[in-house]
Amino acid sequence: MGKKTKALSGASQDAYFRRVLKTQLELKVEDRDRLVSKLREDIAQLRLRKHGSADSKPLPSPPPSAALPPPFDPFSPNVVVVVRTSGRDAALAALGRIDNAEHLRLLAREQRLTVSSDSSSVEDLRAAIVTAAERRIANRFAAAG
Amino acid sequence: MARFLAVSNRKGGVGKSTIAVMLAHAAAAWSRQRVLVIDLDTQCNASLMLVGGLGWERAGRAGRTIADYFFDRFDKVAEDESAYVLKDVGDVAHARGAPGRLCLLPGSQRLEDLQGELLLRHSKKDLDADAIAVQVRGRMKRLIRHFGMDFDVVILDCPPGLSFAALAALDLADHVIVPFRPDFVSQFALDRVALLIERVETAEQLAGIAFSERRYSCLANYLSGTGHERLLIDQLALDHPLLAARIPRLESIARAFDWEETRQTMEQKYADAAPYLRALHDELLGVPQLRAASA
Repeated sequence: MGKKTKALSGASQDAYFRRVLKTQLELKVEDRDRLVSKLREDIAQLRLRKHGSADSKPLPSPPPSAALPPPFDPFSPNVVVVVRTSGRDAALAALGRIDNAEHLRLLAREQRLTVSSDSSSVEDLRAAIVTAAERRIANRFAAAG
Repeated sequence: MARFLAVSNRKGGVGKSTIAVMLAHAAAAWSRQRVLVIDLDTQCNASLMLVGGLGWERAGRAGRTIADYFFDRFDKVAEDESAYVLKDVGDVAHARGAPGRLCLLPGSQRLEDLQGELLLRHSKKDLDADAIAVQVRGRMKRLIRHFGMDFDVVILDCPPGLSFAALAALDLADHVIVPFRPDFVSQFALDRVALLIERVETAEQLAGIAFSERRYSCLANYLSGTGHERLLIDQLALDHPLLAARIPRLESIARAFDWEETRQTMEQKYADAAPYLRALHDELLGVPQLRAASA
């Protein structure tokens, strides 16, 4: 009876990490590299379970057409930073790239920018977010003095 | 003459003493500097980290604390200040014969009371309260400066409040490291301490001082890698110089300050935090004032 596990180390271990992480479509290339590097530092040897004859097959790469859009990042754009560096109109323009009201609400919540529940249209939401950012900036500078 | 590096933030719980001690260890062990830590915080955490509870208590009984030094020498010509300094402290091993060494002027819980005593003592003279305060601060600053002759770097661990000793330290420092936790309240604390360090009164005046001219840099501490932190750090970077080195929230840092009698290497003591500390050490020694000291 053969071994039920197979040891990987060095370059083959790196290659395995890369194959696995490549299937995580939301990961950027640099994040993938960082993770591989961190795993390489921490793991000296990996033991993989053998599943029949499939154990040596590489994990399938997703076909390009199957690529999903990246998940929504509620921390981008950083509305306070855009308002401060480029002004209200630039912040509205940056938020103009987000058409989904739920995404705008999520962004407001994560960036601690309070918007009223009355803001229902995406235009209203964008304006309310920028106004909240302006209020937040004013609060901060009032406290500093 | 030593370079004076203060670690300060008016907000508590941001890791001031931890950073002060980590930097002191790093400067002594990695760049072989003669380092003195002056503990100006009445919590005395830096002292406890460097000599343990018993060592700190012995120093207090022997009259070898910052409060004793100020009290004894306030009205006298300063001489032999080294008598107040505990030598070869900390639990990091240095290579045999290495010139790097770490000393401590221990903190004291009596420092705040002493401030009141000194004020009263000088209030007999014909001076108004502000003038007396300036005089006391100025004298403390000169007394701290005396230590500059015997060390390459003097690290001033400041308390969160604005005691006379803390103000004297900020005034004296060649550079101030301001550790902060990236949370909502921290931004207010950074804004305020920046005004104090740069001796200006408004955010507009502060904005008029180029980052390269500022006497302070901010150090993001206790990072856990969330989007909220990234958001706040980007916002703070508009107004304050931030160090590229950042310190994550690591169990190894918390554990590093359980007092140990046995000496360890930096890598043993700081474990997976050592690379972050190395980055901080390298960056701070690149600050022109400190680089000059090590040249």
